[in-house]
Parts: sequence; C-alpha cells; structure tokens
Amino acid sequence: MTLEELLANAWVRGLVASVLVLTGILVVAAWATWVERRVAGRLQNRIGPNRVGWFGLLQPIADALKLLRKEVLVPDRADRGLFLLAPGLLLFFAMAAIAVVPWGPGLVAADLDIGLLWVLAMSGMMLVPTWIAGWSSNNKYSLVAGMRAAAQGISYEVPLLLSALVPVMLAGSFNLSDIAEAQARDGWYAIWPPGIGLAAFVIYFTTSLAEANRIPFDIPEAESELVAGVSTEYTGIAFGLFQMTEYIHTWLSSAVATLLFLGGWHGPFLGDSWWAGLIWMVLKTSVLFVSIMLLRWSLVRLRADQLMRFCWVWLVPISLGLVAATAIWIQVAQGGR
Amino acid sequence: MTHAVFDALNPPPVADVHLDLESYDADADLMVLNLGPQHPSTHGVFRVKLVLDGEVIVKAVPYPGYLHRGVEKLLEKLTYAQQTPIVDKNDYLSPMINEQVLNMAFEAGLGIEVPRRARWLRTILAELQRLASHLVAIGTFVMDVGGSIGGGASMFMYTFRDRELILDLFEDLTGGRFHYNTHQVGGNRHDVPVGWDVSIRAACDQIERSLDEWDVMTVKNGVFRDRTIGVGVLSRDLALQLGASGPIMRASGIDLDLRRDAPYHLYDELDVQVATGTGGDCFTRYRLRAVECRESIRLIRILLEDVPEGPLCSLKPSKGPTAVKIKDGQWYVAVEGPRGEIGTYLIAGGNKGMSPYRLKIRPPSLHALATVPYLLPGHTLSDAVAILGSLDPIMGEVDR
Amino acid sequence: MTPELQAAVGQLLGREDVAAFGMVVPAELHFALAKLLKDNGYVFYVTVVASHWPAQPAAKGAPETAEHFEVATVLRNLPQLQDNRTGSQTFSWRVDLAAGQDIDSLVPLFAGADWQEREQYDLVGVRFAGHPDLRRLMMDEDWPGHPLRRDYAIETPHAPWR
Repeated sequence: MTLEELLANAWVRGLVASVLVLTGILVVAAWATWVERRVAGRLQNRIGPNRVGWFGLLQPIADALKLLRKEVLVPDRADRGLFLLAPGLLLFFAMAAIAVVPWGPGLVAADLDIGLLWVLAMSGMMLVPTWIAGWSSNNKYSLVAGMRAAAQGISYEVPLLLSALVPVMLAGSFNLSDIAEAQARDGWYAIWPPGIGLAAFVIYFTTSLAEANRIPFDIPEAESELVAGVSTEYTGIAFGLFQMTEYIHTWLSSAVATLLFLGGWHGPFLGDSWWAGLIWMVLKTSVLFVSIMLLRWSLVRLRADQLMRFCWVWLVPISLGLVAATAIWIQVAQGGR
Repeated sequence: MTHAVFDALNPPPVADVHLDLESYDADADLMVLNLGPQHPSTHGVFRVKLVLDGEVIVKAVPYPGYLHRGVEKLLEKLTYAQQTPIVDKNDYLSPMINEQVLNMAFEAGLGIEVPRRARWLRTILAELQRLASHLVAIGTFVMDVGGSIGGGASMFMYTFRDRELILDLFEDLTGGRFHYNTHQVGGNRHDVPVGWDVSIRAACDQIERSLDEWDVMTVKNGVFRDRTIGVGVLSRDLALQLGASGPIMRASGIDLDLRRDAPYHLYDELDVQVATGTGGDCFTRYRLRAVECRESIRLIRILLEDVPEGPLCSLKPSKGPTAVKIKDGQWYVAVEGPRGEIGTYLIAGGNKGMSPYRLKIRPPSLHALATVPYLLPGHTLSDAVAILGSLDPIMGEVDR
Repeated sequence: MTPELQAAVGQLLGREDVAAFGMVVPAELHFALAKLLKDNGYVFYVTVVASHWPAQPAAKGAPETAEHFEVATVLRNLPQLQDNRTGSQTFSWRVDLAAGQDIDSLVPLFAGADWQEREQYDLVGVRFAGHPDLRRLMMDEDWPGHPLRRDYAIETPHAPWR
C-alpha cells in the first residue's frame, strides 16, 4: 500500500489531519502565552520573559514543565469527579471547535457543511465545563464566577450567532471554506456590503471577546474581585488547561472572524497555493489575536449587570437589524441571489 | 441593577449598618462571602463579611485588625528619638508624613521652633510624598476596577514607574527608599544633596506628562466611567460624621484641607488651591487625587524657587536616644496626609519623661474604612472592590 | 472659638476658664458638651483617646491616686460650611473616669465614633454606654485583657533603649 493509497482512506486522512491540527493549535496556544507576555511587557514599559532561550522563546516549555510537575490538588469538599472532568472537557470542546476551521484551501481536518454552526455550538458548550468547574470547586468565588460565566455565555451567544448570520446569508452557506471562497468573489464581508459588514464584524469581534472571556468581558475570571474565577481552586496542569483553553478559544475566535469577515486565506501576492493560504490565514488571525491582547491590557472590566445590559439593549437589536439589512441588501443590490 | 445618579448633596438612602438579617426578605437566598483577609483586592489584610443576595450586597461587616502590631504600645516603651523609624511602617505609602506629624507633636511638647530650612524641606518632602502616595492610589484603584491577571495593571505599572522617580529622590536624600528616618525632633537629619532640585524638576515634568496620559486612559474611557460614576456615593453629612477626611471628604463636597485651614510647615506662605468635588463617588475620588497630584507639582515648583539657607535642626546633634525629655502635658497635632487628617495625640510623661505616657495616632485610613458598611450595601461584588480601592486604605495604618 | 460658643460652653460646664484644649469635664456633661459643640459648627469627628492611669502609692510631693482612666475627645469645626471663611480649629476636652465607670458614647451624634470607641474599648478597656455594637476592633474576640493598659506586659527584661 503506497502513501497515496493510505491517504485516500478517509479514516487515515482524518486521523492525520486531526493530529496535525491539534498539535498545531497546541503549539500556537503555548507560544500565544509568550506573545501575550511580550506584548504586555512592551505595553507596560517592561521587558517580559526573555531569559529562557532566544528572546525567551522557550518560556512556554518551561511553564508547561513547571505546571506538569506540580501536584493537582483537589479540595477536600470538592466533587472530585466533576472537578477533574471540567478542565479536560473544556479543552475537548475547544479542540472540537477548532477541527472544522480551514487554514487554507483544503487544509481542514473536518470540512463540515455546517462548520460555522459546529464552531458556535462547541464554543457554546464550553460554558458547561466552566460552570461545572465553578460548581464542583465548592468555593464561593468559583461559584459566583461559574454563574456569571453561564449568564454571560448564554446572553452573548445570541448576538454572536446573529452577527455570524450576515456572512452566512451573503455566502449562502454554513461551510467555513465556502464562506471564505465566496469572499474571493464578493470581497471581504467586513468591507462589502458597506456599513452592514463592518458593523457585523465589530459585533462579532466584540461578542467573541465575551465568549472567550477576554477583557473587557472577563467577569468570570475577574481576578480583582473573584481571585481567579472558576480556576481558583485548580493547581498544576489542571489550571494550565484552563489557561491554554482560553488562548485556544481566543485564537479560534480570531480565526473564525478572519474566515467570516476578512476573506479567510485569500490575499494578494502569494498566489493560490495551500501554503500561501496558510500564511495569509495565520497572518490575519494573528493581527486579530494581538489586537485582542492590546485591548486586554488597556481596558478595565465591565460590571456583570452592565455587561448584560450592553448585550440585550445594544448588541441583540443591532445584530437583528443587521440580519434584516443584509436580507434587503441581497434582494436589492444583488437581485435576490 | 441600575444606579440612579446620586451625588454627595443628593445621596442615596443611608444603608442600615446594623441590619437584622432575620427581618430580611425570607425568600431571599442569602450567601455569606468572606472578602479577605487573603484576597487580592483588599490592599493588605482587610476582611469584610459580605452578605449577598444574588450578587448584590445586603450587609457588609468589616473586621480590621489582622495587621495589628501594637505600635502604640511599642511607642510607649521607646524613647522619643527611637520612635520615628517605627511610625514609618504605619502608613507605609507616606512615611515622610507619619514622621512629620510625630515629630511635630514632640516639638509642640518641647515648645521648640523648627528652623526655616527644615520647614522648607519638610514641606517639599510632604508634597513629594503626597504625590508618590496618590500615584499608588490611582494605580491600585484602576487595578481594582478591573483587568485580567494584571490586565488593568498597565496603569499600575505606569504609576509605579513614575513613583520610582520620587523614591529615587528620597533615596538621594536619605539613603532609604521606603523607610527614611529623616525627621528628628527640632528639624531634619539629612541635608539636601547637590543637584536635587534638578532631579525634582525632572520628576515633576515627567509625572505631569504622565497625568495627561492617564486622563486619556481613565477619565476619557467610557468603560472606566461606567464602572465608577455613581458608584459608592458618600454623602456630605456621612463623610463629616465618619471623619472620613482628605480626598474622600473633599470628593463629597467638604472644603477642608489642613494645609490651607490650619497651616503648618511653610504652607501659610503658599497659596494652596483646594480642589473639591460634589460627586462623592469613586470617579470623583479618583479624579480628585489626580488633581491633587497636579497641585502638589505646582507647590513643589514654587518651593524650589526660593531655597532658604540656615541650620537644618534647632537642637544640638543628639547625644543619645534619651536626649529628648518631655515632662508632662497633652497635645494634639494634625497634618494633611495624602489620605486625610493624620494626627498625633501625645500624653507626655511616661518612663520619667523619656517616652510618651500614651500616644494615639489618628489614622485617616481607619476613618475611611469606617464608611465601608455604609457604602457597600446595594452594590454588586464588583463594585465592592472598586469602592474599597477608591478609599485607598493602608492596612498598616488602620490596624497599627 | 467664637465668644458666643465660649459663653455657651462656660454656661454648660459652670466655669469661666473655657479653653479649646485640655479642659476636664465631668462624665455626665460629656454628651451634652459634644452635642452643644456639634450644634455650633464642630461637626467633624476627629478622634478619641483613652488612657489608663494605674493606682499610685503616695510618693514625695504627690498624694496617693486610685486607678482611673482619662478619655480625651477631639472635634474639629468647619467654618466654611456656614460661610466662605477658611480655617479650622479643634476642640478637645477630657473626662476622668474612675475604674469601672462608663462614659457616654458619642455614636448617636457622630457615626464615626463607632469604630474609634470600639478601638479604645478594645485596647484600653473603657466602656462606652449606649454604643450600639461594642465589640473588640483590633484584637481577637476572646483576647485576654486590654493591651494598652499601663500594667499590661510593661515589664520587659531590658531597658527601653539598648
């Protein structure tokens, strides 16, 4: 059996692709911590980690080793099973979501026709382990954080889905690859249709910050009031999984935003090959990723009730309006394609 | 929960501090949450027992005392010359002012005059210290309002960077960065180093630039305004009753600043402009501190224009720790510290006149924290942390 | 201190020599004096200081004294609240208490007296009658004794300076 024959098998292909994507995303998540700390260092007039390896590039490995060697403590009164299940489940959902994200033409582990729905469903499911962690820790701070996370996640799901519907309607598909391809034809959805696309992009970007619990929407982790939120009682690699999932989620949000609004892997100069697609995709995602970081280090946190009001009073009606406006745009400007 | 816009003159209803929880809504599912003593945002080891209905605070019972070190008892046993380094550790963000008010009480007891050069130096040290302390207050408050692990800490880093400049100045003068022991009965110990005024001017210029920058980050930031305006409104009447002095009181519309109203040092020759606000909320308290920083810079620049010559201490160099003796009597001396009226009530005559019989320090932070049971109820947990940060308590001083 | 207030305080206390600092006031007039001062502009509660004076045997030149306590209260006025004058003075007086005697709490007048009086009760052991919540403030609830009393652990093996 030759390599081609082996790769023709759908099972083998799926396995290889999943291993590649999952390894890749873990590497990205690990070095995202380094990028974040360096960016924060520049922003705060300090240096950031620069001791381990060249420019501190080996810092994530040192951190991972440290976390792995630490004992995973389970609090005495915690619900042991759920407590240990939560971080793993969290990582599982994040990985499941990232599996359908295409990184270039054909570079996708699972090319689902309902890819976008799958991503949104999986990142929505991440609330469950967050809440489990908050509840099973048997810690009041964790509990408050878990309740906040649940409330926030459920609320922000609505404008997230509504604003993601705008590119779906324009491209006529839930498949992330198709949406990216459609933008090669129509132009970036963040720019065209004028106004509507940009507004949808801003709302999608904002709500995905809330979904990934990033500042200014990080009330479930609110360290100044809730110590460390749901991860208060976690130690060692269990805590590490929470941190890693947050980076994966942020990276996922950036990637999906790129695919939906910023033309996916399409870009000038490099041609249409798969590696050019990968480069453009990673570049665009990184720009969004670093801008999320810059936001994080320069904003303060909203209060829980303000967060809810912002969602239900502003984001939901506006995104509903955007969906309607997109429908009209398709009818009027594009002749009801 | 929405906050109607209250201010110090139109305050929200006063919270029932001694609320009986039995009489509270029987259907409510109350949760008791211990905020502190080991909590990242309690500025040390302050503990508040919060009774929460959902996330809204129903009752707040503070328990200070976790940092009680018996300073007043210790001061009864040390001689007058040995006390200055002890009070450095009380309000550890403004040790200069602690030292000054203590030594001013002793000087009142002895009835001695402080030479003009020493008074000039004390004034400039007080203003620099106020600046340094307010920088920490601003930075920690913004950190309390929010940020991820260190997220809001950007501002904290900026303020600490500029505070370093002032600590460097103090290091040039005294050799210490935190605990100076530079004041003594009758004057100061360390004379001004060469080129100090140039460094002071440079530091003031830098901090003034930074203050403009920070205004953009906070006062003009919508999220910051949402989080602080109308939160933790302290009414004018309550501020008076509780003795919450300093910026907290002035943010509630009371125009009292001992630098202007009961001048000491060289303040009677300076025209101190006292800023007041009527908001009484976290935002006004924050804003007021930033304005006071600018006022301090202005005063420092005026002071640097005319440096008096002369001796630095009116007493001869001390021969030992027992050189100063105060036989009998009582005095109360107060100065305006960064957190408000910091005072020393001295009852002399202990230990054959070598130590105070009783020495009580009036800590402004204790009075500021006394507002906590009134301010927290009705707010959410997030606001509780912001309110605590806006009061800028120093637990070393509260518990002594 | 205005002459009118001086006269009013003198009338209340039944004495001529009214001073803004250090007057000894009978315990039963403590609350009335604080109320009079509060009504006359001394609205800012500064501090309260209790001190313990253990029994002294008769020494040369001094008679024998019984154990007693002194409670000094400091208030501050704010003329700027009435008109636009600046300036602020304190008014301080003292109450001598026999051992075991209570003093009226000022909490009904000044809410800020709450913690201050708790602290003095905690550290010196003076009881404030009418205080709504007289618990220890600094020390543990079950701490033995009152640390700032003069007879509390004052003997040390070394001189106060070394």
